[in-house]
Amino acid sequence: MVDDTEKFKNLSETLGEAHVKTEPKITAQYTVDNVVPRAVVFPKNTDQISEVVKFANRENLAIVTRGSGTKMAMGNPPRKLDLVVCTSRMNHMLDVDTSNLTMTVEAGVKFRDIQARLATQEDRCYLPLGDLEAEGDEIICSDRSHSGCFVPIDPPYADKATIGGIIATNSTGPRRLLYNLPRDCIIGIRVVAPNGDVLGSGGKTVKNVSGYDVSKLMVGSMGTLGILCETTLRMLPLPEKMETLLVSFANFSDASAFAGRIFETSLLPAAVEIMNGEAFGHLSLDDKPDFGSNGYVAAIALEAFEPAVDRMRIEMLNMAKEAGAGANAVFEEEDHRSFWLAMSNLSATLDKKFSGFIKAKLNYPLSMWKNIIASGESIFSEANLDYIVQAHAGNGICFTGLLVDNNDTSATDKAVEAMNQLLAYCQEVDGNLVIQSAPADVKSNLRIWGKIGFDFVVMKRLKDQLDPKGIMSPGRFVEGL
Amino acid sequence: MDKQKLIASLNEIVGPDNVLSSEMDLMLYSYDASLDKAKPDVVVLPDSTEEVSKIMALAYKEKIPILGRGSGTNLTGGTVPIKGGIVVHFSRMNRILEIDYANRTATVQPGVITLDLQTEVLKKGFVYQPDPASQKVSTIGGNVSENSGGPHCLKYGVTSNHVQGLEVVLNDGTVINTGGKARDNAGYDITALVVGSEGTVGLVTKAILKLERAPESVKTLLAIFDAIEDGANTVSAIVAEGIIPATLEMMDNTVMRAVEETIKVGYPLDAACVLIIELDGMPEGMDDNASKIVEICRQNHVRDVRLAKDEAERNVLWAGRKGAFGSVGQVRPSYLCCDGTVPRTKLPEVLNQVIEIGKKYNLPIGNVFHAGDGNLHPLIMFDERDEDERSRVLKASTEILKACADAGGTISGEHGVGMEKLKETAFIFNECDLEFERQIKRAFDPDDIINPGKMIPANS
Repeated sequence: MVDDTEKFKNLSETLGEAHVKTEPKITAQYTVDNVVPRAVVFPKNTDQISEVVKFANRENLAIVTRGSGTKMAMGNPPRKLDLVVCTSRMNHMLDVDTSNLTMTVEAGVKFRDIQARLATQEDRCYLPLGDLEAEGDEIICSDRSHSGCFVPIDPPYADKATIGGIIATNSTGPRRLLYNLPRDCIIGIRVVAPNGDVLGSGGKTVKNVSGYDVSKLMVGSMGTLGILCETTLRMLPLPEKMETLLVSFANFSDASAFAGRIFETSLLPAAVEIMNGEAFGHLSLDDKPDFGSNGYVAAIALEAFEPAVDRMRIEMLNMAKEAGAGANAVFEEEDHRSFWLAMSNLSATLDKKFSGFIKAKLNYPLSMWKNIIASGESIFSEANLDYIVQAHAGNGICFTGLLVDNNDTSATDKAVEAMNQLLAYCQEVDGNLVIQSAPADVKSNLRIWGKIGFDFVVMKRLKDQLDPKGIMSPGRFVEGL
Repeated sequence: MDKQKLIASLNEIVGPDNVLSSEMDLMLYSYDASLDKAKPDVVVLPDSTEEVSKIMALAYKEKIPILGRGSGTNLTGGTVPIKGGIVVHFSRMNRILEIDYANRTATVQPGVITLDLQTEVLKKGFVYQPDPASQKVSTIGGNVSENSGGPHCLKYGVTSNHVQGLEVVLNDGTVINTGGKARDNAGYDITALVVGSEGTVGLVTKAILKLERAPESVKTLLAIFDAIEDGANTVSAIVAEGIIPATLEMMDNTVMRAVEETIKVGYPLDAACVLIIELDGMPEGMDDNASKIVEICRQNHVRDVRLAKDEAERNVLWAGRKGAFGSVGQVRPSYLCCDGTVPRTKLPEVLNQVIEIGKKYNLPIGNVFHAGDGNLHPLIMFDERDEDERSRVLKASTEILKACADAGGTISGEHGVGMEKLKETAFIFNECDLEFERQIKRAFDPDDIINPGKMIPANS
């Protein structure tokens, strides 16, 4: 093995020796799909990131950016990997302007700390502060603005993910139904371009059409066009009331009929999540109602003015009854927040339980959702696989996961085959299937990003123009961009 | 390429009836709603994506400048063919191709008039949210290219938030599709890059737009103030209170007077300004919110708050707002609209600066704008034929944009940079920012033939 200490000496001088790690026992903790980086660096601000990227340019080093590491399983294995750039020290909230309903934070700030900062004086927060503090591993932001606001994004790993990672992967969750996507929430960014330039786009205004929308280009670009350093987000006032309706159904057909009925009205739920009993069973939640494991569960998030929540509860429970619902339960306030945090951590939970867990995100035109799920169910059942289904009804998005043990090669083979079959079906109906996580050794048998769009020609042109040396996250994105 | 040969080649693609080249025609395509003017060499009216692709391939082969145009309502010179060449007018590609209620999308050609689509989907209880004031004449293609806003964008976001997919003809004539009826497509968000690109990256030939259910209930208030500051402070206070209405529009006395000359709305002509505040959504909780807003208005010395009692009254209030730009022609023959945008908390301060700048250059300035977004629209009124006045207008406009940028804002909220604000990009961008944009442009159009000379200043 080459001793890289000398090579990275320059970088140590810029960042400080403690923040450039080349020791194998450390680099081994930062692998990407089993590829070990030659060094891991911890810059403290945008200028240092710029220095790191300029250094990588001179030395022709491939960079992967990392926040909390919750998304490292996404994408193809890297074609080349030299440097992992960690944003963990970039954890400052630079401007919290609650009167303007915007905030600017560094990329390494954790999503939960943003929400904690915006909690009310009584600690009413978009996330369940009680649950977060119970973890005790790190300090939750104690500096409170007492504004009673929140940033309307609902990402997976809500208690661990950094805002940089959420944006780079366009992470979304069930409540996108009401609040839309990170792309709709970001109004400004500062980025280090692949050549090391620091550049900005957008700012603190909620409308801005001065130049190309570089902010949105960066959203979901998986770190292949630069390193996101700072971002300005818009916020909303916390809903007056938050409540969850849980309703059990004997099968998907009844559950989906219920969801369909909701979308015929002008009621405005924050989320209509339809999941199978297996998914509900694995939710890590105290006092979970026992709905049995065979059927389906609808989880409705209601976040609105109190009278509107009251009306939605009454009307929706009636609709559920008409659709043949079984038992139901209602979670209010902190219980509501705990429930949706558990939802956001469902795949983390399963990842721990099943060594060969393969998770996919399916997208499709809204009206195709019943066909897609029926098709998934039949493919998985025929292959005799245990699976979860978690559909964001009304969004055209569904997550599915296969609960496999990595040592069980026959099950793993069947799982790969099943995912490929389901991808083919999604493509038939103008949708797609993207693998969100899979063991590194299984990835080569999967089409990680699914089908390629007609606009790939432009993506390639952009990548070649903006990152001609191909040093930013090479190989991990669509078609190996 | 020789002009006659060019015309002959275009005749072959779209037929001679759809190629315009008389002096009169070229003059008609030499301007938009901005102050700039330049004549194209030829205007072509295609009827299909295939024809657009052939026209583009021809321009690519011969390196001829080319730009797309809808109704020409844009305010910054985006459709002025400054380098001559071909203007592609989308007036014939004006079909609503499909309204797919099950998938909540509408697929339209670029020449569809925004309001026509909105009227059509409203029949089934759906809305396409972006509502630029020019929606009666503006086209979807133009809205997409400029990333148009409108009053309701306060709550619902701008055009970009409502476009799910596009069909785009690239520089060499290749036709691509971005996004689609399914959301979250893998790869870079090319749709978001094309929206608001001011026609500089390709020609949009189809758009898939997001439809939403019309809100169950709407409440529209008119708040009347005796001082501009009070109105502006009210706007900041409403947002700071955490209330995001569907719209929060301001109109000052100058504009109200102009409006009353043309459309009889019944605005109070002795007031300094009014706010049009609209709430929408489920009716539950709306009254409480309205009461909170009225209370904030009172704290800021409102003279009176009126509630539109029915749809007819609401329509009259909006007719005045939407007709405002047209009405100022009553005051002076020309106007320049500055589209500077500021963080909402800076509104009172910057509005004062705008008034001062008007006094300094001795120019009447009317204000009618999206106050809740911090998106100012000072209308500087003048006579274009008066050279001295014209030069003062340009100076005043630059100063207003500088004031917005200095307040942490930007030079355009929804009208774009075009040609008009190329110089002012320096207020918000450094050379690195601009170089990144130039790289994006080069990725799409290395020969710089697609709407050249717009949005990004040339390398200094």
